[in-house]
Amino acid sequence: MLMPKRGLRMRSGLWLIGVVLGLVGGWLMTTGESSPRQLVRASEAALRRPAGAPQLLAREPLPALMDGPMCEWTPASAEETLLAALQERQAAREASLESSRALDRTVDRSDLRPVRAIKDPYAAYSSVAVDPKNNEVVMTDENLFQILVYDRTANTPPTAKMTEPKRIISGENTKIEFQCGLYIDPESGDIYAVNNDTVDTLVIFSRQAKGNVPADRELRTPHGTFGIAVDEDAQEMFLTTQHDNTVTVFKKLAKGEEAPVRLLQGNQTRLADPHGLAIDTKNQLMFVTNHGSYHQKVVGGQASITYVGGLASTAAAGKANWPIGTQEPGSGQYLSPSITIYPLKASGDTPPLRVITGPKTQMNWPTGLAADVERGELYVANDMGDSILVFDVTANGDVAPKRVLKGPKTMLKNPTGLWLDHQNGELWAANFGNHTATVYKIGASGDTAPLRMIRSGPLEEPALGIGNPHPVAYDSKREEILVPN
Amino acid sequence: MHSIVYDEINDEYTVPQPFAQALLTFRGGASGEEAPIRIIQGPHTELAEPDRLAVDNINNEIYVPLDLDKKILVFPRGVGGDVAPIRVLKGPDTTIGAEAVAIDTVHNLLVATGVGDDGLKLRIFNRTASGNTKPLRLIGGKNSRFGRLGGPIAVYSPKGWIIATVRGPGALASEEAFMGIWSVMDDGDVPPRWTIGGPKGVFRMPRGVAIDAKNKSIIASDKRLNSVLTFYFPEAF
Repeated sequence: MLMPKRGLRMRSGLWLIGVVLGLVGGWLMTTGESSPRQLVRASEAALRRPAGAPQLLAREPLPALMDGPMCEWTPASAEETLLAALQERQAAREASLESSRALDRTVDRSDLRPVRAIKDPYAAYSSVAVDPKNNEVVMTDENLFQILVYDRTANTPPTAKMTEPKRIISGENTKIEFQCGLYIDPESGDIYAVNNDTVDTLVIFSRQAKGNVPADRELRTPHGTFGIAVDEDAQEMFLTTQHDNTVTVFKKLAKGEEAPVRLLQGNQTRLADPHGLAIDTKNQLMFVTNHGSYHQKVVGGQASITYVGGLASTAAAGKANWPIGTQEPGSGQYLSPSITIYPLKASGDTPPLRVITGPKTQMNWPTGLAADVERGELYVANDMGDSILVFDVTANGDVAPKRVLKGPKTMLKNPTGLWLDHQNGELWAANFGNHTATVYKIGASGDTAPLRMIRSGPLEEPALGIGNPHPVAYDSKREEILVPN
Repeated sequence: MHSIVYDEINDEYTVPQPFAQALLTFRGGASGEEAPIRIIQGPHTELAEPDRLAVDNINNEIYVPLDLDKKILVFPRGVGGDVAPIRVLKGPDTTIGAEAVAIDTVHNLLVATGVGDDGLKLRIFNRTASGNTKPLRLIGGKNSRFGRLGGPIAVYSPKGWIIATVRGPGALASEEAFMGIWSVMDDGDVPPRWTIGGPKGVFRMPRGVAIDAKNKSIIASDKRLNSVLTFYFPEAF
């Protein structure tokens, strides 16, 4: 007997629903969604028919992770509650810090390497001196902490990366660091090299010295020594000190803790951040370049502190002719850059005989200084002016230089040291700003190319000008690092 | 020059000038021969050999530690001329050593360091402490490893981290040098949370530090390397 068609369709539909339910149940079981309640819900969902309106198909509780302070509802008016929550969080943080401290454990990241390092790989010449007897030129390098010796006539070819020095003195044993002044003993060739404000020690090397060797002689100097000149007749050595506004005079062969023989310091001297130093033994005069930052000292104040191994030391306090260190509070001023001229044997609070200063002089951080006694001229390495200024030794007041060496052909860039080689009639400049030392005829003027040039690096490589980077700051707006020297 | 602080709110930076006893503020981006926009200098300032400083650009103050006088002068930010300090932190109870100072603007604290009556320590004060006020907390001692300060310190205010370099025992350089991070909540002879770049790391004579929070980096100078190093250190941020 045949089934009626309508009954057959109904039986087929029921069969199909059963298959679907079985499949759903099987899926749920294999995926872990196998609780009876869930299966019932799935079945109900499978049997639900469209109702023409939204229907609740399922409901799942939120996971426990979502409960907690982050999502805890607080009423809009609950400022105190928010504050309490913040304080509670702070307390929790502090408790966490306490617990880590209690573990007495420091996370050691001593092996962490920087992702970037700013460093100039080439020597930066800061001062220069010629040894005419041995036909050599000596330079201090304030970047890599070296004394470099070259043939006097060396001339770096344009295509060469650099000129190799014939001798290098460098290394921690030498105590060479940020050096800014040089003198060569004309007889022995001994090299007198002035450390500035990171090592309060003058180091003297024989001309045989090379490598990482201790100095043949050392002398404790006041803090911030810069320029040097030597009176061979009197066997005296003159040093400027920036921090205490002095010219301090030692015996030329002084060593160790030997005291100075004379001190020029005082509020009448007009010394204001003194740098370069030159002497005229024929006319018994002393010349000093000053950048202009000035303060007064307390008369009878405490002796200037020196630093030994980085630690402040008052050991020099009892020495004769040691600078006073105590500043008079609130006495600071900015004076114009200047050259101050004194009697060669001036001491104490002696005012200058003459002062060359003013806008006509063009001085801008006047640094290295040399005197040509025969010609009656003063040569100034004009750091921020990228020039060498030449004045009459008798100049006074606001006077223009009689000659200026300046311009792109000169290759002068932040010259900080200079030297007059009278024997060969040449003028040397140590350029801190472009890895070069440049040589000119004495008397050169205007935009004149050098006769020769010694380079420590490629011309196209920038000189970073980093010398004793101490503080740093980060300019977040420009994404730049600020590095004062 | 032993200090520089960039103020990102006002786009300025400030440096102390010890030879002329002045605080110089330049506009951010200043270059060449550009003059400062403000100078604090003069008899009323009490400045004598100002060597370091901190700038608080939230409360608009400049803090100048004077180590020889064992005091900290506080000036208003944004003014120039012969201005007197608005606060002076000084006195035997402070036990202060005033080589360097930094401000935590979130926790409202002043962190000063230097060799004081009880040795070299990090001393934490309320930011507005004045006169002869005791520190809230001191960090120092053998376990703290805080010794022979390298240079200016920094504070990362959101986390209260104090970042300072320790130069080690050498005269010119030391393998024991490192950069350490302590917390403003630390008290006593507690070790740093992190030591970075040493001991026996890259540092030879580290000096100042600066924070680049956006890039989760700490920048430090090193005198003996004559260079400036950037460390990526997200752990501190």
